Amino acid sequence: MSQYARLLTVFLVAMVGQWWWSSHGAIYGVAPQLLLVLTIAVAARQGPLCAMVMGFFWGLFLDVMAARLVGANALALTLAAYGTGSMRRQVDLLGLAPQCLMVASLTLVYFMFMGLMGLVFLHSFMWVGWMSFLVDPFYNSFVALLVYVLWESWMEPAR
Amino acid sequence: MHREARAANYVFVSFLIISLTLLSLPLAGPVRAFKACATYLLNPFAYYGDKGFERFASIPSRLRELISADMDNRSMQERVKQDQWIRAEAESLRTENARLRAALGLKAPGGRAALWAHVLERDPLRWYRSITVDAGSEQGVSLNSPVLGNAGGGLVAIGRITEGRTKTAVVLLATDELSSVAAYLVSPATATESGSAPPPSFEGLLQGQGKARLRMNYLSPDAEVHKGDLVFTSPTSATFPPDVLLGKVAEVFALDPFLAFQSVEIQPALEASRLKEVMILKQAPPTAARVAEMVGAASAEDAGDEEAAP
Repeated sequence: MSQYARLLTVFLVAMVGQWWWSSHGAIYGVAPQLLLVLTIAVAARQGPLCAMVMGFFWGLFLDVMAARLVGANALALTLAAYGTGSMRRQVDLLGLAPQCLMVASLTLVYFMFMGLMGLVFLHSFMWVGWMSFLVDPFYNSFVALLVYVLWESWMEPAR
Repeated sequence: MHREARAANYVFVSFLIISLTLLSLPLAGPVRAFKACATYLLNPFAYYGDKGFERFASIPSRLRELISADMDNRSMQERVKQDQWIRAEAESLRTENARLRAALGLKAPGGRAALWAHVLERDPLRWYRSITVDAGSEQGVSLNSPVLGNAGGGLVAIGRITEGRTKTAVVLLATDELSSVAAYLVSPATATESGSAPPPSFEGLLQGQGKARLRMNYLSPDAEVHKGDLVFTSPTSATFPPDVLLGKVAEVFALDPFLAFQSVEIQPALEASRLKEVMILKQAPPTAARVAEMVGAASAEDAGDEEAAP
């Protein structure tokens, strides 16, 4: 299976995974931002271009699924992909710890960004709640760990 | 590298513009159309995802049901096995019950008390010679008590007690080589005509041979014996009550000119291998009338003596 086919598979499976996790796998209403984690992982490994394409469409998927701002998630994930892809020139993001750290910090940024988007375009701060805000960075880091392991075992042979 | 970075910048700017456009026009027709179109395209994700989730979600419960069904199945199989065993046991008991009911209808020959006993042991090396029964001296079994069996609703003689223990006794079968019974032989026609106690026709001595069949010796050379003739215990028998069936003639031997009697081979009325219960005839305890009779006789005897004394 070529690398593009693998990436396409990741793209589709990730959407189903995000949908399932947020619909059926949430614990006390807290579900990880799998697509954000994957966008960062792709950006760290494949570069910003690929990550932005995937992140943008994943964001659109999230926007379409949500009833509120259309384009906010697409913009957020595009920015995350671009930022991570740009940062990898200065920081080695291929390791597990940098990726987890990046995921944790960008999760907080993502929440704040979404809130600001709401404030700007809907005139109300879209607050995710303290529970998600405090737990999700760790939850996403844990998911980043899983993603890292899976990526190493499944995607790396294709490199 | 520069080209890729430049492409990334172009893509970033493009996506930025698209996103901001979408954000800026949340209620515009094109945005709503785009959202409807995207929803239509992405709908299968939710639909099939939900279907798949339902299937996967039902796996644990189905697995649990499967395990439960398997456990139930094993339990039921065990119960079926037990039921089969119980049924076989019930069938055996029913057969035994029927046999014992038939045996209850049999009456012991006069002057004797009947004691039914089960066959406990049968030595394969002495198959036609002896059996052990579960009645002994505690039940009143005494040496040389006649032992009868039940064949076709009638009593047949099968042997006598040769060893009495406390709770068990050994029965010497008529087929043993050491066994002999005074018997008479009668044709079935004669037996039918004269009822249950046919008149003696040809007396002889029935002797065991250590095998399935018996031999009847000392029959008169003039006796007309045919296959199928019945053999009963003789009134002259010291052990058995008279007129109890022993067997029937299975083979008539040619008359030996050097012997003064003829012999026949007898098929026992009840084979040793079919014995399950036996009736032991023990001496009945004297009744009150019999005791009074005996006392009266003794008194009369004493009075006679007194009269004769002067």
